[in-house]
Amino acid sequence: MRGSLKSALLALGVLSAGATTAWAEPGVTDTEIRIGDVNIMTGPASFIGQAVSVGSKVAAAEINAAGGINGRKLVILTEDDGYVPARSFQALKKLIEVDDIFALNGTSGTANVLAMMPLITKANLPTVVTTAPNELVYNPVRPSVFTIGASYETAFFAQLKYIHEHNEPKNPVYGLIRQDDDFGVAVEAGYSRAIKELGLKDGIRLKYKKGQTDFGAELLQMRQAGVNVLANGAIIASAANVLSEARKLGLELQVADVWSEIMPPSAKLLAPAGYSFFVGDYIASMTDPAALSFLERTKQYMSETDRQAVNRYSFITYAGLKVMAKAMAACGKELTRACTVENLRKIHGFETDGLTAPISFDNAKQLGGTEVKVYQVNLTDVSFKTLTAYTQY
Amino acid sequence: MRTGHFKDSYAALVALSDSRVVWAWTGVLGLALLALPLLVGAYSLTLAITILVAIVGAIGLNLLTGTTGLISLGQSGFLAIGAYTNGILLTDHDWPIWAALPMSGLVAAAISLLVGVPSLRLKGLYLAITTLAFSFIVNYLILFFESVTHGSNGIFLGDVTILGFDLSADRPLYYFVLAVTGLLALGALNLGRTRIGRAWLAIRDHDIAARAMGIDLVRYKLLAFFMSSFFIGIAGALMSLQIRFINIDIFGFLLSIEALAIIILGGLGSVAGAILGAVFLTLLPEAIRILLSLVVDPNASTYSKYIYEIRGITYGVVMVLFLRFKPDGLIGLWRDAKKFFANWPLAY
Repeated sequence: MRGSLKSALLALGVLSAGATTAWAEPGVTDTEIRIGDVNIMTGPASFIGQAVSVGSKVAAAEINAAGGINGRKLVILTEDDGYVPARSFQALKKLIEVDDIFALNGTSGTANVLAMMPLITKANLPTVVTTAPNELVYNPVRPSVFTIGASYETAFFAQLKYIHEHNEPKNPVYGLIRQDDDFGVAVEAGYSRAIKELGLKDGIRLKYKKGQTDFGAELLQMRQAGVNVLANGAIIASAANVLSEARKLGLELQVADVWSEIMPPSAKLLAPAGYSFFVGDYIASMTDPAALSFLERTKQYMSETDRQAVNRYSFITYAGLKVMAKAMAACGKELTRACTVENLRKIHGFETDGLTAPISFDNAKQLGGTEVKVYQVNLTDVSFKTLTAYTQY
Repeated sequence: MRTGHFKDSYAALVALSDSRVVWAWTGVLGLALLALPLLVGAYSLTLAITILVAIVGAIGLNLLTGTTGLISLGQSGFLAIGAYTNGILLTDHDWPIWAALPMSGLVAAAISLLVGVPSLRLKGLYLAITTLAFSFIVNYLILFFESVTHGSNGIFLGDVTILGFDLSADRPLYYFVLAVTGLLALGALNLGRTRIGRAWLAIRDHDIAARAMGIDLVRYKLLAFFMSSFFIGIAGALMSLQIRFINIDIFGFLLSIEALAIIILGGLGSVAGAILGAVFLTLLPEAIRILLSLVVDPNASTYSKYIYEIRGITYGVVMVLFLRFKPDGLIGLWRDAKKFFANWPLAY
């Protein structure tokens, strides 16, 4: 009798264990959900990764304070890739195999996301790409990958359109300088679109190697071509060097810049050249009411050091985790990757309190938040004035 | 009876080892490597594959820099050539991997002759800068010939199989890379014992004296470039099989520096040194991460950026200390350990 009871209990145990594992997913326990992010935490671009990390962790802290996702707390696990694609691959492999993550929110740069893509696809890992809205990421569409943000193409088109309609100098001649990589190609696509659709005069197009610091020759060619509207596709220090060289040559320019220049450290590098440059962005600027409200609202979760790291990348990653959380919450207690992906596909008009335009993934590209605002820098205090509302271009 | 280093036949002189103990331990190591996928998880296997790829690249660089004494900073360029050749042949021309892999090495080797010829009169830092310039040219060419290389978009590798095994899975890939690494390491060891290997050593030690002894400097220097680039091209191809995505951003300048660090830390001029260096430098960040996680939880606070900087600094400090106190590299440490045990209990 005792033997048969023991056997029955064992069988029940095995059955119940089987019942548990039948719906248990990687990275999900009764009490927590593990979300990964692969970021640039070291090196010259680490200010991006640190901001991303803060955005993710603040969103998780808010969600957890409100009771978590159907009772489960979010845990954020960050891995550094140093902006090296081969390391991104290795970092995600660790997050999947060792840390057992359920989903991915932070994803570093475009080449880094692409290096991780085979792993993401194989694991059907729900992934929200917030910092690399490059067409290469969403075309072709990978079933579990959702992208937030406008392309560089759209951002540049928006700025050039604004300049054309509101700030165009007399006898306008447009010129482009861009990097010789996928990012530069996207910038040039926006420039080409503006030239074609708005009927602008294309003065000159120049490419430069990433990391170049001296732009004397390029700016002399710009002057020779009579350029007075510059699409500056250089970023951060290079962008500042381009403008500084232009000032030395006495060029009077209307300047469209990359959205990375909206971040306070970058803007401060560009400002001394004295050009009141424009930026097109799908994220609120630091002086936008939405950003100020975010900073105020999240004070309780951020230390002073955290607050110093906040920039546009924090806002978008915060929004990314919030939208992911909504999809996970809709799955109920029996959370699976497949269900999360399915619910992400249904996301429509998700409000981010103005940090971005409302996000919708219910489209063929699984791409949302593509509307762009145009900003102009105020040189006296290096703040940004909002010139347009979020607009689809 | 074995008497130190005295050899009484030419066969004994060129043998990889005349010690049964060495062969026995090599067999144990081989068995351990074969059993590794059964004993460790997927991430450890990924690290093992990364180490094996690094070993192939380091052995290749070692042939040029360690054995022949020609300093090169062009590894990232040759890695890119190997990876792109492999990716293009597999993806756009449906070549089988058994043909694409050696072709990747051959294309890198053939292109290396273009660098080798103008570099024949250069040595030391001048050669280093020339090879560095070459790696930049490779990047430009990859972007320029977009119709062939897919330009900045990069290439995704589809399903690659060999003998019915899917190389996108960790275990088959591990065994494949292990087999290639084993063959190439054996090839490099044997090469060092041939006339070619000895000619390279003579060139490294004193090229004018080597020429006076009848060694054709042009031929042997070009051969060193050719063989080294063949290995590095294969390493690039293996790298592309592991990541399954190729883009020029993957082959940054840092890779060339890391490759040099591997052979210097491992011990210049030695295949075993290249292997030890690759193992050490690949595992060092992991070891630092694990050790630091015992002290600080990287996810403990909302803002934990400093932990990543500390890891990077520790990595640099370990390398500096190592070079300061063990300038002949890991292979020197290994030789000291062997000598200690060989002379024990009379070790000094």
